[in-house]
Amino acid sequence: METIYLLIVLAPLLGAIVAGLFGGRIGRGASHWVTSSGVGLSALLSLYVLFGFVTGGLEVFNGAVYTWMVSDGLRMEIGFLVDQLTAVMLVVVTFVSFCVHIYTIGYMAHDEENWPGESLAGSNSYQRFFAYISLFTFSMLMLVMSNNFMQLFFGWEAVGLVSYLLIGFWSVRETAIFANLKAFLVNRVGDFGFILGIGAVAMYFGSIDYAEVFARAPELANTQINVWGDESWSLMTLICVLLFIGAMGKSAQVPLHVWLPDSMEGPTPISALIHAATMVTAGVFMVARMSPLYELSETALTFVLVIGATTALFTGLIGIVQNDIKRVVAYSTLSQLGYMMVALGVSAYAAGIFHLMTHAFFKALLFLAAGSVIIGMHHDQDIRNMGGIKKYMPVTYWTSLLGSLALIGFPGFSGFFSKDAIIEAVHFSTIAGSGYAYFAVLAGVFITALYSFRMFFLVFHGTGPRDEHAKAHLHESPKVVTVPLVLLAIPSVLIGFFTMEGMLFGEWFRDVLFVLPQHDTLARLGEGVHGPVSMVAHGFAGFALYFAAAGVFAAWYIYMKRPEIAERIKSRFGIVHRILDKKYFFDELYQALFAGGSRGIGKLLWSLGDRILIDGLIINGSAKAVGVVAGWARNIQTGMLYHYAIAMILGLLLLLTWFVI
Amino acid sequence: MQFEMSSLMPVLPEIFILSAACVVLVVDLFLKEERRVVSYGMAQISLLLAVLVTLFTATGERQILFDGSVVRDAMSDVLKIAVYLISAGAFLYAKDYLRDRDIFKGEFYVLGLFAVLGMMVMISANSFLTIYLGLELLALSLYALVAFNRDSVQGSEAAMKYFVLGALASGMLLYGISMVYGATGSIEFGAVSQALANSGVDKRVLVFGLVFVVIGMAFKFGAVPFHMWVPDVYHGAPTAVTLFIGSTPKIAAFALAMRMLVDGLGVLHADWQGMLVILAVLSMGVGNLVAIAQANIKRMLAYSTISHVGFILLGILAGTGKGYTAAMFYSIVYAAMALGGFGIVMLLSRKGFEAERLDDYKGLNERSPWFAGMMLLLMFSMAGVPPTVGFFAKMFVLEAVVSVDMTWLALVGVFFSIIGAFYYLRIVKLMYFDKPVDETPLSAGLDTQVVLSVNGLAMLVLGLFPAGLLSICAAAVG
Amino acid sequence: MTFELIVFYLFSAILVASATMVITRRNPVHSALFLVLAFFSCAAIWMLAEAEFLAIVLVLVYVGAVMVLFLFVVMMLDIDVATMKAGFIRYLPVGLLVTLAMLIEIFLVVGADNFGLDKFPSPAPAAADYNNTESLGNVLYTAYMYQFELAAVILLVAIIAAIGLTLRKRSGTEVRQQDPSRQVKVKKGPDRVRLVKMEAQD
Repeated sequence: METIYLLIVLAPLLGAIVAGLFGGRIGRGASHWVTSSGVGLSALLSLYVLFGFVTGGLEVFNGAVYTWMVSDGLRMEIGFLVDQLTAVMLVVVTFVSFCVHIYTIGYMAHDEENWPGESLAGSNSYQRFFAYISLFTFSMLMLVMSNNFMQLFFGWEAVGLVSYLLIGFWSVRETAIFANLKAFLVNRVGDFGFILGIGAVAMYFGSIDYAEVFARAPELANTQINVWGDESWSLMTLICVLLFIGAMGKSAQVPLHVWLPDSMEGPTPISALIHAATMVTAGVFMVARMSPLYELSETALTFVLVIGATTALFTGLIGIVQNDIKRVVAYSTLSQLGYMMVALGVSAYAAGIFHLMTHAFFKALLFLAAGSVIIGMHHDQDIRNMGGIKKYMPVTYWTSLLGSLALIGFPGFSGFFSKDAIIEAVHFSTIAGSGYAYFAVLAGVFITALYSFRMFFLVFHGTGPRDEHAKAHLHESPKVVTVPLVLLAIPSVLIGFFTMEGMLFGEWFRDVLFVLPQHDTLARLGEGVHGPVSMVAHGFAGFALYFAAAGVFAAWYIYMKRPEIAERIKSRFGIVHRILDKKYFFDELYQALFAGGSRGIGKLLWSLGDRILIDGLIINGSAKAVGVVAGWARNIQTGMLYHYAIAMILGLLLLLTWFVI
Repeated sequence: MQFEMSSLMPVLPEIFILSAACVVLVVDLFLKEERRVVSYGMAQISLLLAVLVTLFTATGERQILFDGSVVRDAMSDVLKIAVYLISAGAFLYAKDYLRDRDIFKGEFYVLGLFAVLGMMVMISANSFLTIYLGLELLALSLYALVAFNRDSVQGSEAAMKYFVLGALASGMLLYGISMVYGATGSIEFGAVSQALANSGVDKRVLVFGLVFVVIGMAFKFGAVPFHMWVPDVYHGAPTAVTLFIGSTPKIAAFALAMRMLVDGLGVLHADWQGMLVILAVLSMGVGNLVAIAQANIKRMLAYSTISHVGFILLGILAGTGKGYTAAMFYSIVYAAMALGGFGIVMLLSRKGFEAERLDDYKGLNERSPWFAGMMLLLMFSMAGVPPTVGFFAKMFVLEAVVSVDMTWLALVGVFFSIIGAFYYLRIVKLMYFDKPVDETPLSAGLDTQVVLSVNGLAMLVLGLFPAGLLSICAAAVG
Repeated sequence: MTFELIVFYLFSAILVASATMVITRRNPVHSALFLVLAFFSCAAIWMLAEAEFLAIVLVLVYVGAVMVLFLFVVMMLDIDVATMKAGFIRYLPVGLLVTLAMLIEIFLVVGADNFGLDKFPSPAPAAADYNNTESLGNVLYTAYMYQFELAAVILLVAIIAAIGLTLRKRSGTEVRQQDPSRQVKVKKGPDRVRLVKMEAQD
């Protein structure tokens, strides 16, 4: 089996290397073939692994593939931990990635138009794009298959790196460069916490191997440490919160969420792959993987819960006022990530992962559908310019509808099961902050339905595009674009129905995710639910379904039936609209406080430290010193034999005098 | 002593290389000028066969033969195999260079094989006399190689300096050995070590002799202040020879230090540790600082060698198994790095043109992105930038030094290697950010290109997987 | 003071004096001759130490062969003594200082304190039938066989190096070379002797 696991990881890497280093030589066709088939192979093998676990034919694999080095007893290894959780992630990552690879063939077909003619970066951009997404797949697989913190960190940073590269892919656009810098800087904040967390683990556990750390966790559960002064902190809380700060950066949780909407500057396929389906869920995966640690600290769980609930509610609100089609989907992603975090916060890890999986499918679908619309609209992304696209793009329309229904939680669709499970789990939870979270997730249901269908109606229904020229060119996207849409639509609708029982209440995650009995909200929910049909019936008894229906209706009424209401609301509640439109002024705040402040500090340090101290004293001073010494030594190196000989004799004398006499 | 044939088996590698050198010498006489490549091929095949011979005759046990003259242990096997392989690389890179300059002669390979033999003798030496003879065999071959291009005044001058200074150093070494003999009554390492362990041996005479022994070794390494020959010889010798001198003899020098100081005079560790500290600090300092001021890449690499020697000495002076392992790792890695570095210099050279000036490296990326990449890896490795293997070599050495509570020395090492990074990275800057001065396309045989690529990539691969070589070294040091 | 001691000091004095002369004489032929003297006195001292074989070999090989060859070369070369000695006076003070320091340090260690007779008692004199040559031969071909072979290899390398560096085939009319096959074909008459008329030189 080890060979298969290695193959799953290495096939995309090989594709990335071939397309990245030799893309120019082998051409476009070969590049997309080699990368797609690499990822395709991974996807097939991942399915094989998943089925192995489903049928019980596979054992959990936990072993080192290679020991990189041992430093002071700390083993640094490349190793794989493949269990049910990993298997699910493998399939999600490789399947979505495979769809995105195929989709990209169509989406990037005319990429050269996006580059100014003389741009050097524009040459082979098509091949480079494929190399990046394959490299991303490799990194993401390394992350989810890791059995230790070091490899986790490697995958964590590697997916981040590819993400920055792809956000700034169109490097000639200033906005793209700004967005990728922003993503990079915001993630630094998160990663700082993350590496501190890993450091704390290494320091107190003396190991960075998952199994060893988890095994030792209970005995360290009540350890108190002094971080600052006499204040004593719970070690477990500290580690969990630090790790979660990393997750907040990567999974874009408030207040580190600001980079995700801007990341939409990247090409749409990567928005689907990286910024919706896989990378941004790494934080969720990480917390679920660390469940043996998080379970030991209720403080940390509450922290996760509150952050998640806040994200779920407030970023959803912003989605209502956005006009860029991709940004609407991006805010919806933020909100859904908040849901997943809420699930983790109430110890319903399985629900979080379940939502991660269903979300990956329907959100990738929505993004790719949005991309299809964007192709049709010739890269115009403003939904106010769209409308009535339904009749021009039927496949896109129907798949979008399925995706949106899944997103709002239409009974029986995959999103319904996962979201309802989360809401109910919060309902059953007694942990601090669960009351607030329950309110947030319920309100979020209404808001989700409202912004999803606002966008849906504005784009596909109503009158046609205002621009006649655009209208004339509007037609369905090519097969390479629509086939992935259909491929993704199938699991978006069905996967919840078939897997919910096993994943939420069954045996599937029992040995993988650790939940203390007093936290086990899903078990309590499971008592009342027997199979998907009963879950749907149960859904009709709750509030969530009616909130969603109300949201859809409100969207239809406000934006289709009586568009003037929207205008009136906008003028009546100007302040609210403005706050939402400006995204609660987070960007302005950060810009003023951190960017401006750090620039001020930077300037001060630069003039004081850099120019006077470092440049003047250290750099120039040391350069001068080096020059003097070098010149002096060059003078000694005269080329005269007897000078050399006398130098040796003097050296001899020196050593003799020093050591003998 | 009863002579036994079985005692010949462990020295079969030496016998094999000696025979090969003689065969090449004779065959070469009957070859026409245009068939000279046959001698080259024979030399290469003998080196590769020597790897097999060494592997097949290896027992893994420590054997002492010829009345204590020779030792065959795991360390000697590993070091010998490293010497064969790196020498084979040097021979290969040298081929086109020599042919372009009309000095493609069989003697180059004959002398090269004799030098390899000398190194093997040093690596396997178990007595002061053996190690001295090996040293002389190596040195004599190298003197002749440096003067190989007889029409080059620079080469002859360099050879002359090397010869005279080498003779001086040999004299000192012999003097030191005579003192050790006087104090202990033996020249065999085991017996010397035993005599030292018994109290009552005159410490003062021993340390007096030790100073001379250390100097003989320091000269071979090229440690400051016994380094003066290094830049002149590296600069004056034909690049093909510089490549050879700059790579494998460092491995032999490591063996020299291990055999004499550790096997023989290990009891005096406290004394030679102090001497090596001085040599190491001076070498790292002078090597790195002066390298910055060089405009000639061969001279620059010469000073870089000096600084690397300082690092190897750091590992040895730690005096622990960890330190010896680190030093062994470092010397093998350094030999491979130097091989690649000079290989690139030769790749850029052509008939009537020596790519010696730093300016010749400007814009290499535009002329050949692949080999610019290889040079980048090599320079990164020399500078000690992760994830190349040079980083680990430095790290292991520093770790070893820290573990014997000489943190200040590790800090000195780090300080100087930061200074050193400047001139390696300057080459990278020239290659990638400057416009080429010279637009001639690179012409090199496929074999050179392939081996050079392997050489460059090895820096990266060994850096990603350092544990393999490290564990081999650790096992060899025992 | 025994007779042996007198002989020892006598030859030692001659050795040191002649060695000094070797490096201070202006005329290289004189230097070479003083070196011969130094070897002789050295051989005498070895004789005192009952190392007869080595003493004889020193005289035979070094004096008889090496030095004669050396003298031969020195006489054939036109060495510009003046330039060779140019820096001599200038560097003399530094040289003397270093020499002095060195001497002091060596004496401090290699003095009677460490190498006196109490530390190193003189070995019992060998029996009359003791054969120096035979016992040397015995160890040389047994215990030191490996080193002996190595020394042979070193000599081989020296030969290769010397020939490799000096043997050159030059073409062109101005380089005169011997061609044995043509030499033996020489016939009587004009082949052997050719009269050339030249103008007188000043």
